[in-house]
Amino acid sequence: MNFAQFQKPQRYIGNEWNVVKKDHAGRIKICLSYPDTYEIGMSNLGLRIIYSLLNDFDDVVCERVFLPDDDFAAFFRNSQAPLFSLETKTALKDFEVIGFNLSCELNLTNFLDILSLGGIPLLAAEREKVIIVGGGIANPEPVADFVDVFFMGEFEDSAAAFVEVLRKVKDKEERLKALAQIDGFYVPKFYAAGFNGAKYSFEKKYAAANFPIRRMFVKDFNNAPHPDKWLVPYGQIVHDRVQVEIARGCPNACVFCQARAVYRPYRERSIPAIMDILRKSYENSGYEEFTLLALSVSNYSHIEELIDESIDYFKDKKVGLSLPSLRVDDILGRLHSKLSSIKNSSLTVAVEAARDCLRDKLNKKIDLAKLFEAGQILRALKIRKAKLYFMFGFSDETDEDLAAIGKFLHELSYKTRLNLNVSINVFVPKPFSLWEGEKMDSEETLLNKRQIILNHAPAVRYIDISISSIKKSIFEGIVSRADRSFSRVLLNAYRKGARRDSSSERFNWDIWEAAMKEEGFDWHFCLEAKTENHPWNIIE
Amino acid sequence: MDIQKYPIKVTLHKRGEMIYFSQLDMVRILERALRRAGLPIYFTQGFNPHVKLSFLNGLKLGVDGSLEVVLYFTQKIEPDSVRQKLIPQLPEGLDIIGCEVKN
Ligand code: SF4
Repeated sequence: MNFAQFQKPQRYIGNEWNVVKKDHAGRIKICLSYPDTYEIGMSNLGLRIIYSLLNDFDDVVCERVFLPDDDFAAFFRNSQAPLFSLETKTALKDFEVIGFNLSCELNLTNFLDILSLGGIPLLAAEREKVIIVGGGIANPEPVADFVDVFFMGEFEDSAAAFVEVLRKVKDKEERLKALAQIDGFYVPKFYAAGFNGAKYSFEKKYAAANFPIRRMFVKDFNNAPHPDKWLVPYGQIVHDRVQVEIARGCPNACVFCQARAVYRPYRERSIPAIMDILRKSYENSGYEEFTLLALSVSNYSHIEELIDESIDYFKDKKVGLSLPSLRVDDILGRLHSKLSSIKNSSLTVAVEAARDCLRDKLNKKIDLAKLFEAGQILRALKIRKAKLYFMFGFSDETDEDLAAIGKFLHELSYKTRLNLNVSINVFVPKPFSLWEGEKMDSEETLLNKRQIILNHAPAVRYIDISISSIKKSIFEGIVSRADRSFSRVLLNAYRKGARRDSSSERFNWDIWEAAMKEEGFDWHFCLEAKTENHPWNIIE
Repeated sequence: MDIQKYPIKVTLHKRGEMIYFSQLDMVRILERALRRAGLPIYFTQGFNPHVKLSFLNGLKLGVDGSLEVVLYFTQKIEPDSVRQKLIPQLPEGLDIIGCEVKN
């Protein structure tokens, strides 16, 4: 095949450094996918962990597939050739199991698209292959009709049990029955589910199946496998660096946060274990850029020591180091002298709310006072711009709170001379967050609030504000909170052409609205109703 | 202060799957290969140091052919030693067909 006819052909070749290619004969064949483009999928650490975890089993071969870009997808559609894996260009349908990492609700149509391009029936009931879904997905119900089995939580400690079932049991139905009894696995077809008035109920259809489903967590995080044979793409990807996970979970409790609930409890890796990963990953990859990854790096108990040791190791090698989620008071306070020797320091602050009283309600603990006085330190760190995040759409926020965002930005840029890149997002009551039971503001309210923010926003060159689309946020709310009946909407919208909903240019509310209408799905109920329990309550 | 640099010219043959990789990709491929090989790489000076390489010719995407590139080291090093250390670090489809001290 002549790949030169496609945009950025590198991403379809599958010959990255450290790629695993095994003979298929006599092995369990699994294809792993992140349903977005290669550049985004390969930036996901979870996918890489599972790829190396599964390939560590001698009798398993695990390959990858991502969403082909439009031109490559058109090739498959027009030629009727089935979508294939990167490593050995094996058709998807020739794998026994396909695993998807669903970590973003806006990837659901991409997930269906990959199945469709692979010539695999979309509905679980209509195929022989096992489709397993894991990743950050919190509420499995909206995709239940398309998935044979979900794995809820962190897969590391359960991989052996999973492979053992695939080894011993070959019949699909028997496989699902076996998996349904293992902690963390959820086979939706073994439960009848639906709203009964205000109550969402689950009824077991297979007596031995788990109920409720336990979300799994790695017990010994310090020794949890880390992919130190880091796959090195030759083209550029979104997070083009080695990510070293120094902690999992977050000890903070911001009320809107889903991640802290999905990765729980907070666990840290020891410095020797981290340094061992850094060394091995560098030697195996030759990467020029590393990042120390955690939901909140600042909370790492020995962060100063860790930064010292990593800088020490990387200094002569001229390797860049980034710490993406440092707290602003750390960057400006105890850590700033250390950061000055790091190549790319950057400043990202999740301010969330401009006024202290609202920020307190959100339980967002940050000390912003220092930031306003930090002009000098920032110049010394060669930081000229900052990325700021805000959130709005809370039921008890006032017009004053909204107007304060503009004032805050104005004052900050005036005092620090920073260029500001500001992203303002709508609050979505995500499943398992502390505020999962809150209502989402109506479209009208959100549009009003948005206008108040914009009316007070400084219109100057050095403050760049982007504010999320209300329709897309509402959609995000629906698709993260919906119940099982949403599967029909998903199929309908997919058939109408919904694709790549995470892209603002591609997202098409009209398609979704039409699909919800045709399928009789009440999205207002999904976002606004006070219910006794939630569709995701089957997960403990 | 300027560090002395020792240039070595490497001629590579790009074939098979490697023909789909652009010049920019080649920079990354070579830089990472040099790093894995543990060779004494010469970095550009300044705030944002990076590996110094210069291509002597270009090659269109999708074309099989040879590519000349000058690599720079901080020590005098035998071309043969560069070749030996680099070969195991290069992807399939990228072969060293020449390696000499560049004057
Ligand atoms: S928003 Fe960040 S700091 Fe707050 S709980 Fe979530 S991960 Fe932790």
